[in-house]
Amino acid sequence: MMDITKLTAYETVKRIKSGEIGVKETLLSYLKKIEEREDLIKTFILIDRDRAIKKAEELDQLEHKEGLLFGLPVAIKDNINVYGYEATAGSKILKGYVSLYDASVVESIKRENGIILGKTNCDEFAMGSSTENSAFFPTRNPVNLEYVPGGSSGGSAACVAAEEVAIAIGSDTGGSIREPAAFCGVVGLKPTYGRVSRYGLIAFASSLDVIGPLSKDVRDAALMLNVIAGFDAHDETTVDIKVDDYLDILEGNIKGKKIGVIKEVMDFEVQKELKDALESSIQKLKGEGCEILEISIPYLKYALPSYYIIAPSEASSNLARFDGVRYGYESDGAYLREFYENTRTEGFGDEVKRRILIGTFALSEGYFEDYYLKASKVRRIIEMDFENAFEQVDALILPTTATTAFKLNEKKSPLEMYMTDIFTIPVNLAGLPAISVPAGTDKAGLPVGVQLVGKWFEEALLLRIAHHIEE
Amino acid sequence: MYKPTIGLEIHLQLMTESKIFCSCSTEFAAKPNTHICPVCIGLPGALPVLNEKVIEYGVMLGIALNCTINEVSSFYRKNYFYPDLPKGYQITQYAIPLAKDGFLEIVTENQRKMIRIEKAHIEEDSGKSIHTGDITESEYSFIDFNRSGVPLMEIVTYPDIESPDEAYEFLNLLRSIARYLGVSTGDMEKGALRCDVNISVSKDEVMGTKVEIKNLNSFRSVKRALEYEIKRQTKLIEEGRTVVKETRHFDEKDGTTKAMRTKEELNDYRYFPEPDLPPLIISGDFIEEIGQRIPELPNQKMRRFIEDYSLSIDYARSIAYVPSFSKYFESIIAFTGKPREVANFIMVNISNYLNETGKDIEEVPFGKEEFKELLDLIDSKIISLNIAKNVLDDSIRSGKSPSEIVREKGLSQVTDEDTLRSMIVEVLKENEMQVRQYLAGKTKVIGFLVGAVMKKSGGKANPDLVNKILLKELETLRQ
Amino acid sequence: MSKFDIEKVERLAGLKLKDDERERIKRDIDEIINYFDILKEVDTDGIDPLVYTKWTRLTLRNDEVHTGLTLEEIKKNRKLFGNNFFRVRRIIGE
Ligand SMILES: [Mg+2]
Ligand SMILES: [Zn+2]
Repeated sequence: MMDITKLTAYETVKRIKSGEIGVKETLLSYLKKIEEREDLIKTFILIDRDRAIKKAEELDQLEHKEGLLFGLPVAIKDNINVYGYEATAGSKILKGYVSLYDASVVESIKRENGIILGKTNCDEFAMGSSTENSAFFPTRNPVNLEYVPGGSSGGSAACVAAEEVAIAIGSDTGGSIREPAAFCGVVGLKPTYGRVSRYGLIAFASSLDVIGPLSKDVRDAALMLNVIAGFDAHDETTVDIKVDDYLDILEGNIKGKKIGVIKEVMDFEVQKELKDALESSIQKLKGEGCEILEISIPYLKYALPSYYIIAPSEASSNLARFDGVRYGYESDGAYLREFYENTRTEGFGDEVKRRILIGTFALSEGYFEDYYLKASKVRRIIEMDFENAFEQVDALILPTTATTAFKLNEKKSPLEMYMTDIFTIPVNLAGLPAISVPAGTDKAGLPVGVQLVGKWFEEALLLRIAHHIEE
Repeated sequence: MYKPTIGLEIHLQLMTESKIFCSCSTEFAAKPNTHICPVCIGLPGALPVLNEKVIEYGVMLGIALNCTINEVSSFYRKNYFYPDLPKGYQITQYAIPLAKDGFLEIVTENQRKMIRIEKAHIEEDSGKSIHTGDITESEYSFIDFNRSGVPLMEIVTYPDIESPDEAYEFLNLLRSIARYLGVSTGDMEKGALRCDVNISVSKDEVMGTKVEIKNLNSFRSVKRALEYEIKRQTKLIEEGRTVVKETRHFDEKDGTTKAMRTKEELNDYRYFPEPDLPPLIISGDFIEEIGQRIPELPNQKMRRFIEDYSLSIDYARSIAYVPSFSKYFESIIAFTGKPREVANFIMVNISNYLNETGKDIEEVPFGKEEFKELLDLIDSKIISLNIAKNVLDDSIRSGKSPSEIVREKGLSQVTDEDTLRSMIVEVLKENEMQVRQYLAGKTKVIGFLVGAVMKKSGGKANPDLVNKILLKELETLRQ
Repeated sequence: MSKFDIEKVERLAGLKLKDDERERIKRDIDEIINYFDILKEVDTDGIDPLVYTKWTRLTLRNDEVHTGLTLEEIKKNRKLFGNNFFRVRRIIGE
């Protein structure tokens, strides 16, 4: 008998629609897989079997099997609202908070008849690169349980890698889709800022946050982008630019496309296997008739400090609403101020508190100009660097990370942890689309990812190139 | 001489159906927490979407306040913790407001004065905290988020105001303008207009210390608070003591201001650009189009009433500042002419009627036809001005036409000379002393005698005829 | 002397750390803030800060009223008091 959980999302929907497999049958295969593996990997914060099964049964009754995701189980990162489900964003402060509305991406997934299977674990408020900052439990890397799955969308990456679901939704503020995708050996797509609605995504850093899919292959990423991309009247930062049929364009050739290799990447220490993987991807692209050019992003190394000022600044404001008054965790105190401070100090974890404090400082009187404003100007310079680069090339290629996955509890100072994102963060600052695709393994057998960065709103070409280099 | 320097900060609620960043209703006095949604109670993940009407109204008001409208303006977050502020920040305009550099010209005691406006920007209101009992002693406060996200325009003046009367008049004019534009009711009791004042008192050229006063619930409170504060600060200075820079609360009951007892809060709002809202760009065409929709404003109307109709400042202002009054007034004089008489009837008789009945002027059952009839009765000397007032009062209340009333009650003037003469003869007999005085050269007493005749006739005697006949009779007596 | 006055920042941020926690967190933050200093190398004279990408345009909503949350829904997250108010601890004190 065929193992449905081995199929890609695209194949699964196709077979359900052709009648080859049933919706409930599909769902039950995944639930079985989850039962087998979940105890060890712990990717889900919430699974609602009953609601999912009920939905599957409803879909099985339908005569017309419509919708791009018909009958496909989908996992959603827990920082995204799904009506009636808890949404904790991996934080104690949101324990018990029940979503009273659907995020726009969830609405789109439901409209296309996808089934919401559950909510995946993540670093608290998406702040982290290992999913160890979840207030509830760490998720493990399915490839090797001693290792982290990356983060913050570690649960979403791990559940796809573990075949507990064919496709999952994550969010990427500084690499939170691409880094875990690379660590777990799956595809992770961060669309252009403004391409996918953030409505319903619990904000970390509003000017950087983007929702995107984690999937088994590039085709699945294209499928999900078809579902979630586009202008949304609920999100003033979405952009009304034509959405392509991303599945349709996937197969076309990439002959003559110019691919840039960023010179400054080699200023950083990069693990040998990752350099090798990058090189072999470059060779593949040459083989497809691409022209490889060396280009420069002179201010690349300033992306990290710029990001770690801007993101916490916005976060310090975004997370002010968690005051225990209307929802979520509430402590006590003799008077209001004490109640606030107790609620927030007990409700947030260390990394979140650190970032709130850094951000509050960076915006405060006397420091605003030197920190927040300075960082925002540097951000402009970095964006201009990319703009110059894209005058010469159609896409950029670089490693997703400088190393493969690290071990759980491998002592790292916060700053050391921040360095994990050196190759993903610049992309968020510039708002560009990027994708991480698996490119082999290191000698320990841990996955290696290579990252492609496209022009603004040109996900179509980006996905096509990625499709050509995936294994 | 101590000179007060006053600046106002006014929050005006823009009269939209829905809130500024979400589609919840702005209905006043609804059941608590029934007009709320993910956006306006700050549920995680919710995002603001700007209401176009807020921009339209904001631009309109900005133009009416003679401001420059910024074609590009931006939104910021003002960060602070307060339980009625659901997101932990207020979305407001900061670096670039919608409107800036305007002015309003006010008239007090025949003096014209320019009050400059620094800026007018749009922002969201917060919810409402209700404290049971003393704010410092009750164990809990209660929060209603219905107001959270109601659109406001904040108007900040330069400290050009120099007296409580000027402050009062500025507010009065501003509210009237808002009502003419239909952008705000300006009702203070419904929170649609709120005003904080800054005031310092100084001798000579040295600027005094600025004190902020909050909790002003009516125009009268603004005036009273300022009057009190001027006295308080003047006294401190005279006694050689210092005025403390602080925020004070106005106490409605005893008319004093009191230092707020709150703990010294860190005031660092950490303003930064609101990443969820790109800059607001409005075209010159849009601004132009809005500008063309602005009607004649109350201060222009007032000036016109004074210049063209010779109304007194008080009457001109009272009619011009209330849109329904001026609409009524102008519709009537367009038909009847005689603006001074009509203004008089409106400000005395009709105002009384409205006060008594609590009705609006639109409901007054005395339109231009009735006015015409009334004025014609006066013109053709059938009734006197005094009788006319009674006729008007009667007509509004009974619904009968003025001529009907004059006929039924026999109010038409006595113009029959024989009737008048016999009345006059009687009066002369009854007032021998005055007659003697008159004959002795004290011609002033004629007024007294005319009055006596008018009284005898029940006010119906035609005053001109009375005069004429009376003089003739007195001359006869002289011979 | 570090420019990062943690107790003042805590107060602005609505946090109050325990002493040992404060010490640890402050050490980390000092290190991070020092690292930010490399931004001083970048000449940003005449550069506009970037907050919004050039693609974003504000779109305006029609002034229409839609039904929001019901009291039943709100009560899934918080008990309401009196005539359906949220309740908080008294506002002033110390
Ligand atoms: Mg304000
Ligand atoms: Zn609302």
